[in-house]
Amino acid sequence: MTPFRSTPAGYVATWEPVEREVLARVARDVAGLLSADSGLPDDATEAEVAFTGVARVPRDPAVQRLLPDAHREDAEAAAEFRHLTQTDLAAGKVARLHAFAETVDPSTEPVTDAGDGDQVLVARDDAQDFAAALTDVRLVLAERLGLDDDADVEHLHTEVLAGLGPEQDEDDLDPADDDPDDDEGAAMDAEQRVYWGGVFVAAGFAQESLMDELLADLRARRSAG
Amino acid sequence: MTVSATQEDTSTEEVSRLADPWVTIVWNDPVNLMSYVSYVFESYFGYPEAKARRLMLQVHHEGRAVVSTGPKERMEVDVQAMHGFGLWATMQQSDAPGGSGEGA
Repeated sequence: MTPFRSTPAGYVATWEPVEREVLARVARDVAGLLSADSGLPDDATEAEVAFTGVARVPRDPAVQRLLPDAHREDAEAAAEFRHLTQTDLAAGKVARLHAFAETVDPSTEPVTDAGDGDQVLVARDDAQDFAAALTDVRLVLAERLGLDDDADVEHLHTEVLAGLGPEQDEDDLDPADDDPDDDEGAAMDAEQRVYWGGVFVAAGFAQESLMDELLADLRARRSAG
Repeated sequence: MTVSATQEDTSTEEVSRLADPWVTIVWNDPVNLMSYVSYVFESYFGYPEAKARRLMLQVHHEGRAVVSTGPKERMEVDVQAMHGFGLWATMQQSDAPGGSGEGA
């Protein structure tokens, strides 16, 4: 995975096929989780969703983090805010996660196993949504990894770097036969932790480099205007 | 939306509440990148780079920052927008604990 760079066509990075595949799959999984747990209808792309969806308080703590209470001290006000906004908010996030997956998903074009990488091109107009989808993915992974504070995140970075020594190639990032969904609610074993930690770190690397470019472009536009 | 217990308050508080009745607070989390939070504050609120950075650092170091102030309806829009960006935001009346001032 290379950092995003600003080009005339948009923001471009090179991701290995496995990185594209895994991040697209995680984004679609997060979209599915969000839909199910926020009470969205199955087809969240329907226009009337915003008016027919029934907002309920998510049960999954990761989804609660994506759709948090707007009032800390006033449960009634928080419930009312959720009732008025949650369906729109959740539907927007779901659409954005699917768009992210479509942008990086290698299934739309055959990917070779050679590990020769491939370009991820994010159009300028889509970059903010792309970055926000990465945020939602990282928030859910962080909850699953139990990252509660800055020290946890630093520790994870250390663990992941230790687990991905110089001898290791990207094939080792494959989840093999592990299906993390089977273990929902259970603690991750060390292998899963390194795997999902690696996904979290990669998503953060991609987002960090994209934000550097987005901020530079935003500031240039504003000082010019 | 409810109009809570405003009648019980003193006239002095009434005045400050009329001026700037509600605030949007962004809370720290270990996941959001400093650059992303700066981008949100600069692009969404239109804050200058220095102000956005100061608020971002306040969130990071103090655990929270008041990022906007205004009528309740405006704060509802801001809170929803922050949630859209994946930031953890709440709103409250500006005289509630932790809700005073925008820190400059």
